[in-house]
Amino acid sequence: MKIFYSSPWVPAEWIKAHGFEPHGIWSAAADPTITKPEGVCAFAQQFPAFLKTFPHTALILTTACDQMRRAADIADRSQARVFLFNLPATWQTPSVQQLYLSEIERLGRFLVKLGGRAPPPEELETVMLEWDRRRQTLRDLLPRVRPRQAAELLMKFFDDGTVPALLPPTPSRGVPLALIGGPILQSQLDLLDRLESVGGGVVLNATEPGERCLLPPLPPRLPGQRPIVVLANHYFAHSIDVFHRPNSRLYNWLATRLDERHVRGIILSAHVGCDLWRAEAASLREAFGLPVLLLDEHEIRNVGPRDLTRLGAFVESLR
Amino acid sequence: MNAVLRQLTLEEWDSHYAELARQGLREPAYGGPLRRHVEQEHDLRLSQLRFDPSPAALRLWNFLLTENHRLRIARFHGDKLVGAMKDLGTVPVLAYALPGVRAFYPDGAWWTPCLMECSDRLLQQAETLGIDASFCPVRAMLGAFENEQHFPLPDLLVCSAGAVCDDFSAIAQRLEHRGHPVLWWEIPRRRLPEPGEASCALPGGLFAPQAQVDCVREELERIAVALGILAGCELDLPRLQNGIREANRVRAQLGELRHAVYAAPGSPLPALEMLIAEMLAIHFCSDREECLEILADLTTEARHRAQTRQFIAGENAARVFWINPVADLRAMNLLEACGGRLCGTDFMFTHALDLIPEDLPGLDALARIALADPMAGSALDRARRIVLECRKSRAEAVVVSRIPGASHCPWETPLIQDFVREQMGLPVVEVEIPPVCDALIPALRTRLQAVMEIAWSRRTI
Repeated sequence: MKIFYSSPWVPAEWIKAHGFEPHGIWSAAADPTITKPEGVCAFAQQFPAFLKTFPHTALILTTACDQMRRAADIADRSQARVFLFNLPATWQTPSVQQLYLSEIERLGRFLVKLGGRAPPPEELETVMLEWDRRRQTLRDLLPRVRPRQAAELLMKFFDDGTVPALLPPTPSRGVPLALIGGPILQSQLDLLDRLESVGGGVVLNATEPGERCLLPPLPPRLPGQRPIVVLANHYFAHSIDVFHRPNSRLYNWLATRLDERHVRGIILSAHVGCDLWRAEAASLREAFGLPVLLLDEHEIRNVGPRDLTRLGAFVESLR
Repeated sequence: MNAVLRQLTLEEWDSHYAELARQGLREPAYGGPLRRHVEQEHDLRLSQLRFDPSPAALRLWNFLLTENHRLRIARFHGDKLVGAMKDLGTVPVLAYALPGVRAFYPDGAWWTPCLMECSDRLLQQAETLGIDASFCPVRAMLGAFENEQHFPLPDLLVCSAGAVCDDFSAIAQRLEHRGHPVLWWEIPRRRLPEPGEASCALPGGLFAPQAQVDCVREELERIAVALGILAGCELDLPRLQNGIREANRVRAQLGELRHAVYAAPGSPLPALEMLIAEMLAIHFCSDREECLEILADLTTEARHRAQTRQFIAGENAARVFWINPVADLRAMNLLEACGGRLCGTDFMFTHALDLIPEDLPGLDALARIALADPMAGSALDRARRIVLECRKSRAEAVVVSRIPGASHCPWETPLIQDFVREQMGLPVVEVEIPPVCDALIPALRTRLQAVMEIAWSRRTI
């Protein structure tokens, strides 16, 4: 059975260890016929009807934002196969860390109810180590391929956990840019090609599921420590996202990479109705002293002519 | 036989005030004619409002409109100021339990563009800081922090995070990026306990897992420590229990006022003044003792009017349950103008109306109150409480007032509408109220009148 999850901070390893196929929602084709009420985020709008489009699956939503949380209210009313994962917004205290661990355990009970099998610790650890190895492969590959290809590798990893063994190097050219923001769907990856066509090269993909969502290597397990605790602590300590309060971890993560990669401009991609990302445009500009272009993701579709002209003008001004 | 009391314009209040003064009206230090708020503070919106004619309402208005001034005086006398953000009713209980500490909600600046008819330019200022009209009018708070022309900057800024609306969370984060440090605390999204999971009863007939209550209690402990450091004395159990008792006195008094007004055959007080009176519950408008007296005055007035059958809206007025606060106060005047009256409300802080359990350790009790926040749980939980309240208050119609740009409204409004219709068959109308709604008044009036007419027509069925 496929289990779709809507946030990179829901451990796919945990789903896999229960005997299910974890799939990031970013690769799922959205239903283009859904009408979007005013003020509703285009990403979140697909969730209430998701299980009708994808029957015989289950859906894990999170409390990362109000829009998704409330989409779960609607989805939950008619569907029993929806799990709302409580992702804490704060990250400074042990009590919140405990809350995160308890949510992972609760998710485990949900998966068992769906017919999954509670994994013995050693099985979970095996899956964790395998996922860790795949992440390492990805980390090695990403700097060597074009932005579009890198984004597709990440998309694929978050879709079904797979990574290719080896790829020929195809380095990126153009004005070095960072693409920052929330969820990007498979159908929106043309944005990266379009950027290249106007002379921009994305050297940092900090969208979702971008490089930002790729956890660092797992630490060694301490004697007596349960694998699930290692997993929870690792995710909790290394989740980098806009909804955190404060979201200084996001800014620290960006600061290092923007500097290392000599980024000259930021493209901030935000879905219409996404307050959390949209509000960061001015702060990003102030924090890094770089030009920021706010790109509205109107719908689940490709870059239109108007946006392409804006992107072209933005890159031209950075040359 | 009903006597219908007429609401007064600002001009009419001028002469009414003079007459009351001649008759020996006694007022607190912040008292005076309403007109001065227009002339001195540029609260231009007052010229467009209709007010209750009682001295109790005058005192309420003066209390509300002098809050920033009173906060500055308090600071001058050495009080510490806490800016509580978003939780609407929890952190102020902690703050007022300490000597020399006052808490207020910078969120309250969302009414400033209305009161000043946008002459404050707070919304434009927020826009220059990257927070445009796609965000809820609470973005005015950002401008107020920047220009320091409204409330004094707090000594400590506290904000709940987690199950809160995105607009507010994003704006508060922007505030921190602008150099205003925020002490964040987690309020998890409330969920139902699972079978076999330790469960906790919350005020308002809700339940949450014990683990969530424990988490929030620990978060509030952090806030209590920070407040104690600010105050220079520990927020110990006796102080906290006393603070809870005092907060409950206010809540109980507000409960009496709501009963006196909403259960009366006609409406003894207008919707506008009731909105403001209810708002006092969240942080006592920066003066807990005075707040209590004001609510007591209003209750006395309401009871007297009910006994003498003097009503702002008569017995024929449609009984309306109102959901969400309005960004433009003038919208509340429309209710009576269209033939309606309030019989119940959910202004997004029903958890600040519920009594805080006094038989529990203080922080545990407050954690339960915080988790009972209607905005922290599912919209269906909120809809269920609304239906219960509608039944109790014999509501004949429901108005859902949308807040422009608010992240929760597009999702919860249709859910609440559908649920109320399914469960009660009541007519429900949705209106959206911007900070100055003048241009929309014909449309708002038409929508409200339509729902009143449906309510009246159902009486004969």
